Amino acid sequence: MREYRTILQFMRANKWRYVFGIFALLFVDAANLLVPQVLRKFADWAQFGELTLERTGQAALAIFLLGLAVAAGRYFWRVYIFGTARRLEYWLRDKLFKKYLRLDDSFFNQQRTGDLMAHVTNDVLMVRNSMGGGIIMIVDAVFMTLFTVIMMIYTVGFATAMVSLLALPFITVVVFSMSKPLQRRSRDVQDTFSELTTEVQENISGINSIKAFGIEENRSESFEKINKKYQEKNMAMLRMSALFDPLIQFISGAALVIFILYGIKRMSSGSLSLGDFVAVLNYLRMMVWPLIAIGMVVNSFQRGIAAMGRINEILAAEPKVKEAASPSKISKHGADDQALKIEFRDVCFRYADNLPWVLKGVSFTLEDNESLAILGRTGSGKSTILNLLLRRYDVTSGQILLNGVDVRDASFEELYGKIAFVEQESFMFSRTIAGNIAFSSDDNYDPETVKKAAEFSRVASDIEAMPEQYRTWVGERGVTLSGGQKQRLAIARAYYQDAQVLVLDDSLSAVDTNTEKDILNHLEELERGLIIVSQRVSTVQRSDQILVLEDGVISQRGTHSALLEDRDGFYARLHQRQLLESELREDGGEV
Amino acid sequence: MAQTNYKHLDDQDVKAKKPDRKSLKRLYSYATPYYKQFIVILCLIILSVGMTLIQPRLIQLLIDNNISILVNPASSQSEQALAASGATRTALLYLATVAIAFVTAYGQAYMLQNSGQKILRTIRQELYDHILKLPMTFFDHYPQGSLVTRVTNDTETINEMFTSVLTTVFRSFITLIGIVAIMYSMDARLATYVLILTPGVIIISVVFRRAIRKIYFAQRRVLSMINTKLSENISGMRTIQVFHRQKQVSEEFDEINQKYLDLSSREVQYYATYRPFIEIVRSLGIAGLIWFGGRSHLDGIITFGILYAFIDYIQRFFQPILELAETFNIIQSAMTSSNRIFHLMDQKVEDIGGKVAVPESGLRGKIEFKNVCFAYNEDEWILKDVSFTVQPGDFVAFVGATGAGKSTIMHLLCRFYDIDQGQILIDDIDIKDYDLKQLREAIGVVQQDVFLYSGSVMSNISLNRPEVSDADVREAARIVNADSFIDKLPHRYEQDVMERGGTLSSGQRQLLSFARTIAAKPSLLILDEATANIDTETELLIQDAINKMASNRSMIAVAHRISTIANADKIIVMHKGRISEQGTREELLAQDGLFKVLYKLQYEEY
Repeated sequence: MREYRTILQFMRANKWRYVFGIFALLFVDAANLLVPQVLRKFADWAQFGELTLERTGQAALAIFLLGLAVAAGRYFWRVYIFGTARRLEYWLRDKLFKKYLRLDDSFFNQQRTGDLMAHVTNDVLMVRNSMGGGIIMIVDAVFMTLFTVIMMIYTVGFATAMVSLLALPFITVVVFSMSKPLQRRSRDVQDTFSELTTEVQENISGINSIKAFGIEENRSESFEKINKKYQEKNMAMLRMSALFDPLIQFISGAALVIFILYGIKRMSSGSLSLGDFVAVLNYLRMMVWPLIAIGMVVNSFQRGIAAMGRINEILAAEPKVKEAASPSKISKHGADDQALKIEFRDVCFRYADNLPWVLKGVSFTLEDNESLAILGRTGSGKSTILNLLLRRYDVTSGQILLNGVDVRDASFEELYGKIAFVEQESFMFSRTIAGNIAFSSDDNYDPETVKKAAEFSRVASDIEAMPEQYRTWVGERGVTLSGGQKQRLAIARAYYQDAQVLVLDDSLSAVDTNTEKDILNHLEELERGLIIVSQRVSTVQRSDQILVLEDGVISQRGTHSALLEDRDGFYARLHQRQLLESELREDGGEV
Repeated sequence: MAQTNYKHLDDQDVKAKKPDRKSLKRLYSYATPYYKQFIVILCLIILSVGMTLIQPRLIQLLIDNNISILVNPASSQSEQALAASGATRTALLYLATVAIAFVTAYGQAYMLQNSGQKILRTIRQELYDHILKLPMTFFDHYPQGSLVTRVTNDTETINEMFTSVLTTVFRSFITLIGIVAIMYSMDARLATYVLILTPGVIIISVVFRRAIRKIYFAQRRVLSMINTKLSENISGMRTIQVFHRQKQVSEEFDEINQKYLDLSSREVQYYATYRPFIEIVRSLGIAGLIWFGGRSHLDGIITFGILYAFIDYIQRFFQPILELAETFNIIQSAMTSSNRIFHLMDQKVEDIGGKVAVPESGLRGKIEFKNVCFAYNEDEWILKDVSFTVQPGDFVAFVGATGAGKSTIMHLLCRFYDIDQGQILIDDIDIKDYDLKQLREAIGVVQQDVFLYSGSVMSNISLNRPEVSDADVREAARIVNADSFIDKLPHRYEQDVMERGGTLSSGQRQLLSFARTIAAKPSLLILDEATANIDTETELLIQDAINKMASNRSMIAVAHRISTIANADKIIVMHKGRISEQGTREELLAQDGLFKVLYKLQYEEY
């Protein structure tokens, strides 16, 4: 139960709700326990011929009032206990999501999205159930059992009470011993279900192989095997779960028979009245649920504890990259407080001590409003430079300085406000086009600037051709954007930030040559700092400074014309090759 | 255009229509083979409900005939003894009903589940088999995810309908009828009084169900919004952080989370109102019974036992009504699911082709494209007036930039799609006239994406095709040089491979794919070569395999590596959907055209 310490804070804040809820529950239990007593009295009056019209009325009224009391109590415990469990669900979900927002790449690279989602949905639900239904079960299991036994003893004495309760504990035994295997079997069913899903998924995505080889039948047989297994696993579970109700009915029926057989003897001796008999019949029926609850409560909390454990693990995770506690200001006060100078000083980086170096002593300076390009093969470390600048990771050694301030001392707000990033694989959110460009909630943006941004990245005409233009919904079931459109939208998004430096991580790869030229022109006219990473010479050639990166080391640096002079250098050879390629693309066919 | 509009099929929100008679009929047609079982199930239900309903009546008899004597001090010794033995008999009879109810209830549940699961399995299988037979154009337009949902989740919804709904509906109706019958047999006036309460319970339940259904519907929508937000925010976390939008994203999430809490609280609130309401009606019923019954008892019209039995029956009377109300929801969503499933089953399967059989000896291998035009989507022409001929036994290679239309030519030869204009002939017969299955069997295709099934190397090469023997598999592996690496695997041909598994390198997968194609000894070979990173050694093996494969049949290949097609009889250069150059390698190199550029690009490494 230590796992639950995480929610102590919530429990404390809501303690009156719990207290009140449990009190209402106890009130309901007590009212319920009185009903058999009314019936008992009524039966006894009837037996001894003492029943009068007035007493009949009293009994009827008592039953109705007790019913009202139960109803009122039920309303309150449901609202207070179940309602609070729902608040707990909200609270935990919120806490987890806020935690995710604080964690960094090093965390997300090690986790599967599906698992992270499951914590926020399924695990939270399991905790909710243990703190809702689970609490009810505990209270009922403890108090209901105890009070019913006491009431039975009060009604018919210790011996008779004990004899008639002889069979009932088997209910708990049955429930308890069935809950584990049932859970296992239902997990088997779920596992087979995901096997089935995988099979369907795989084969549908490989449908053209299936058609080409004409192996529809073979695939159908393969599916049949899993389909059959799924049926069997379902049956294995159902065989057992179908036993649950009938078995409990059987046990409680048997308890009743034991009581009758024992009671017959005591009736003839006069120590058991008709009223006692009627009352015990009712108590025996009332005992069934608390005894089931005893059997279930352990399991429910075990699941809750497991879920809580997984949640705690997430809540305990810490980002590797942390914002400075008392950040230094990057902006200089004075005439030009927007200017931003970026400097890499002998930066080295590796992901972990036992992994190879990704960057080995990278140094460069980007003056305000200058442009810098980084060129290199895949895996040469280009993107890593940007990742370090944007503090996705921190340098292993060396320093990155913004206006002389170490990037690790800057506040996130200032850092990300000064640098706008266009990712390699631009991510679009399910909101409107405008909402994606402004990266804000869907109507909280300046339409003029959004339009300007779209024009800047040459995506405006694409957007205007869409049915709802800037209000077109992007997302799973909205328009599907091409790779080039996504990249251009991402550039528009970065432009909208109005940052001092724009950083493009190979973000023009899916854009055609002419559009690329236009965008590069716009970038130049913008007169802001620019860092551009690419594999294409055509993209980088106009930059003030070009760095060629090979295996984490800057192998060449200079302007386009300077770099071309080294005819055997990486840069010149790549240039040559890309010229050939463009020749193929542009004037090939129409021979 | 050859394509139909499939988009409307994927309407996730197919409105919960009124139970569609046709779907319902169709659904039950799956149950008809099990009618005998269902008759037995029905009998068992009647028996088990009967046993349960008899129990209060037994208690009544016990009270009136035995206990009243036993507890009466005025009754004589012999009367007492008689009553005691009668009571014992009744108790044992009660035990018998409990035992029979146990056996029949379990038997009934078991049999129903058993038949239900079998029915579901049949539906699932039929649906899946149907999907496999649908034409390629269908798969291009219908989202894969939805297809998976149809086969898995939608059938699962129907499962619930078969298992929980059927039992509940049967049991509840029989229970209601049973109770009414027993009550009237005991005392018509009290029975009528209980019946009068029924509309109240029904109205409360119906009103509540309507309200709660709306909440559930909204909840599901908000929950899927939560899931979407979660999934995209986790995937796009980098973007969020780099743009420093945590606060805004957090607020947006909170808004949905809050909305869910509101709906959740309303759900709790509704239940918290509904259950007590029923409770009040119930206690009103019992209080009324005591009042009216007590008066009847005072007047000597009914015994105390009967009054007690009525109190018992009234409590059992409400349960089935509540349960019936609950099943209504499940029936509705099952209807929606079956509508979707049957809609999919009604999609036309792929054309099975014409009547011309491929000769025993296989195709000679003459291929002719005559002015072929083709577009996957309207007005986006992929092939524009393409004509060429491949002579039997020739090896023809297609080269060109990505998107030039090379792979499309391969797709058309297999009749994955039908062309819009022109004609494709194999051995001078239009491919539309061939029996499709035979045609595809005669044409061996090596595809770009090698798809491995979970299973052994053996089964991945044979694909369990009846015409492929184990010896054929080994022979094929030998021809394509795959045997050397297979022999090195710990379990050799019995080694398990997994889709996306890292057991095999991409070169090895490519060789397996060759073997798979060759194993059925196709008379015509299509090679859609993969560009994956292959080491030099494997590349030599592949090249050798290609030459061997091309030696005794026609072969056309899409090549990304010019090295692999060095021995081609003819090279056709595609550019933007047209043929721009053709000839042997030497001829083309001499031409100084597009091919030469491609050639230089591949051989001059940077």
